Amino acid sequence: MRAEERSGWLLTAPYAAFLLAFAAYPVCFALALVFMHWDLVRAPAFAGFDNVSRLATDTRFWRAVANTFVFLGIHLPLQIATALTLALALNRPLVFRAFWRAAFFLPVVISGAVVAILWNALYATDVGLINSLLARVGVSPVPWLTDPSLAMPAIAVMVTWKNVGFYVVIYLAGLQYIPRSCQEAIELDGATTWQRFRHLTLPLLLPQTILVVTLSTINGFQLFIEPYVMTGGGPLRRTFSVVLYMYTNAFSYQKMGYAATIGVALALIIGMVVAIQRRVIGKAEAQ
Amino acid sequence: MRLLARAALYAGLTFAAVTFIYPFLWMVSSTLKPPFEFGTLALVPDRITLENYRIMWSRAPFGRALANSVLVAGTITAAVLVLGSMTAYAMARLTFPGRRALNAATMAVLLVPGQLTLIPLYTLIVQLGWIDTYAALIVPYLFNATAILMLRQFFLQIPQSLIDSARMDGMGELRILFTIFWPLARPPLAIVAIFTFMGSWNEVLWPLLVVRDQQTMTLPQLLTVFALGGGAGTLGVSLAAAMVLVVPVVVAYMFLQRYFIESMAGAGVKG
Amino acid sequence: MPSVSFEHVGKRFGDVGVVEDFSLDVADGELLVLVGGSGSGKSTILRMVAGLESVTTGSIRIEDRDITQLPPRERDVAMVFQDYALYPHLTVRDNLSLGLRLRKVPRTEIDRRVRWAGGMLGLDALLDRKPKQLSGGQRQRVAMGRAMVREPLVFLFDEPLSNLDAGLRAQMRIEIGALQRRLKTTTIYVTHDQVEAMTLGDRIVVLADGRIQQVGRPIELYRSPLNRFVAGFIGTPPMNFIDGSLESENGRAAFVAEGVRVELPVERMPATACSEPRTLGIRPEDLRIAAGPGSGTDALDAGSRGRVVLVERLGGTSHIHFDVGPHRLMASVSGESLPEVGDVIGVQVLPARVHLFGADGRAA
Repeated sequence: MRAEERSGWLLTAPYAAFLLAFAAYPVCFALALVFMHWDLVRAPAFAGFDNVSRLATDTRFWRAVANTFVFLGIHLPLQIATALTLALALNRPLVFRAFWRAAFFLPVVISGAVVAILWNALYATDVGLINSLLARVGVSPVPWLTDPSLAMPAIAVMVTWKNVGFYVVIYLAGLQYIPRSCQEAIELDGATTWQRFRHLTLPLLLPQTILVVTLSTINGFQLFIEPYVMTGGGPLRRTFSVVLYMYTNAFSYQKMGYAATIGVALALIIGMVVAIQRRVIGKAEAQ
Repeated sequence: MRLLARAALYAGLTFAAVTFIYPFLWMVSSTLKPPFEFGTLALVPDRITLENYRIMWSRAPFGRALANSVLVAGTITAAVLVLGSMTAYAMARLTFPGRRALNAATMAVLLVPGQLTLIPLYTLIVQLGWIDTYAALIVPYLFNATAILMLRQFFLQIPQSLIDSARMDGMGELRILFTIFWPLARPPLAIVAIFTFMGSWNEVLWPLLVVRDQQTMTLPQLLTVFALGGGAGTLGVSLAAAMVLVVPVVVAYMFLQRYFIESMAGAGVKG
Repeated sequence: MPSVSFEHVGKRFGDVGVVEDFSLDVADGELLVLVGGSGSGKSTILRMVAGLESVTTGSIRIEDRDITQLPPRERDVAMVFQDYALYPHLTVRDNLSLGLRLRKVPRTEIDRRVRWAGGMLGLDALLDRKPKQLSGGQRQRVAMGRAMVREPLVFLFDEPLSNLDAGLRAQMRIEIGALQRRLKTTTIYVTHDQVEAMTLGDRIVVLADGRIQQVGRPIELYRSPLNRFVAGFIGTPPMNFIDGSLESENGRAAFVAEGVRVELPVERMPATACSEPRTLGIRPEDLRIAAGPGSGTDALDAGSRGRVVLVERLGGTSHIHFDVGPHRLMASVSGESLPEVGDVIGVQVLPARVHLFGADGRAA
């Protein structure tokens, strides 16, 4: 066994070292940074609970959190409805099935930066594609990204567009597992198409729906490149995101301690929100 | 399905597919339009011009950025495949103390949101003096937990008899891994390769933190900086820059869509 | 008025005909079994009654109402599926009651019917469990309960016992039969197992290649099969077949094959002197074995000898496999004294039990 043990250690030593340096150390240091002031130039100074108390009253931070909830409020239902509808439409022998699926999945593959730049152009008030199309039907140009109450919803729609293909694939996989005989049985039991969806399909897709909600929520809290490229966090800070704030604190203000505090707070918030969501959805299904 | 319902279904799907594809087509044609024509709905420009591309290329080192992206993404992918298989092989087929701890640590890594470790990693890079180096872009990504778990899962299923007979032939572990396991592991290796490469190719936030020098920037980073920094001037130029990033991906995607979908959807679920 | 009526029902998938010209009346309260091999069309016919497959030609009526174009939910039939098709996310109670809830049956009525079905099928203790916590036999009962609770006009069973082990299958067979007799609901039951068909069916329909081979009560199919297919399909162990010819001359007729000669009684004689190809069928239980070569004076096979190749001792009955000339036959005998492998035995046939089939397969 000794030779095998030696080989095992040798082969995994690089990985173990990596984990220590790039996983364990950062996590611990992040927690340590919460209690420090550090601008990377002078030596770090102990800050006690300064960062924490500052965060608790930092309107910019809580504005960002609120923005995320606005985002999720639009993005989550839209994402679930669209992905589910497309998956149901695709879940049958179709002529160009692979083509549709590839079309919907295309934006998933594209860089977020590109999508942001593209939609910047699509949403452009004067020359954007969307307003040009609306002009055709006589609608005057809508200031998608410059109107405070429209900007975050606009981003929410864009992110839905980018990711829906991914969730279509997930729902499609889930639909495969619904036995054909169960669908036939419920038809004989008297179900209309809608009833079959509500009583059989939807409940059996619960694991997938939970996955959609969880991943989309995490994604929503991690929003960065979209506000960074498209709105810079405006208008009126309405698209300001937590990660954007964290980045600015680190890169621009050189406030490492505070930035790390934001990071830790974000991780905690994400954890709590996801846990609550799972509880709520689980209860809804038990109805 | 009745004929009418079926027709409606195809119409609906076509409309949906158009909303996903049309913006890209519009993007392509917009890059070929002169500024005064920008924003028109016509997909074929009245006057095709490559001016946007010329401007874009001359204002920022996109060729260099493309090379940087290829270098970084390629190196990371190769490293993840090789180092990842070595690790996964040991974790799957060798017994040694600490194996279970390593396994647990790998799964724990997946639970930590990237935002938590972002700042400490940044400070680490600064302290190592790696700002504006390729090391900063590559080293933190040399090992990928999702890849290791996926490969480990696959390696667990290879029959022990193959290993035993190879050992009896005097083969060392690395030999076994690369001559026996790798040929069998083409599907998961391909999947890992794709999501690793794509993840690195599209990554923006990390480069924006650790790289300031335009010569070292990756393509999506340069594109972002360019579009934001006013260097683009017009939307047409920004989109032209975006094209450089997108075209290789779309071309690869057209031929390999099945693998892309399987890879990125699967990895996303595990993550 | 027949409960279910098929009029020239046919089903095609593209160019392939799966069911051809199926016409039949099912009597009220009858348990009709559709039996046949795979590809015989039996499941397709059942699913056409349910509305899960469309009908290409012909029509189906239930209690004189043409249901051919109606969707499944409007037909008032209930089906027990081969894989039970229980709703995995619902408890047994909810599985049973979903159909009623969908139709807005009042709560008290739902509870009454669930209790009634649960009681009859022994499901009371299981009402709050989920399907994955049940055994195969229990799931089967829940599937039946779900059908019963709807109090439909027709029960449809699609090979419900195929997924159970042999012992459970035999037991469930009896229970299903008893249940059906109690409920008196018209039932169409599909199976590939002819033992199930024989024990359960009031009448049996034997199907092959989408066509009816024969319809009748079990004993009719056993005693008077209309063609070689039915003769070989019905009855366990299966009928012995010998290819040969019918010789008749001078007022005597006999079946002749290599090493075999069977004198036929007067009634079986064809009208004219002839020699025609025939296949003889005789059931293993209608063959008699005698130790030592036959005396030659019995009605069958003057001088037919058999050489024993295999003896399967099953306890009460035994199967003796033996060769007569080039023909391999099997006899089912009871009793203690059995020949050994290699013994020469005399073979006798009860002439009244002999079946003859013409070149076209039909009984002659």
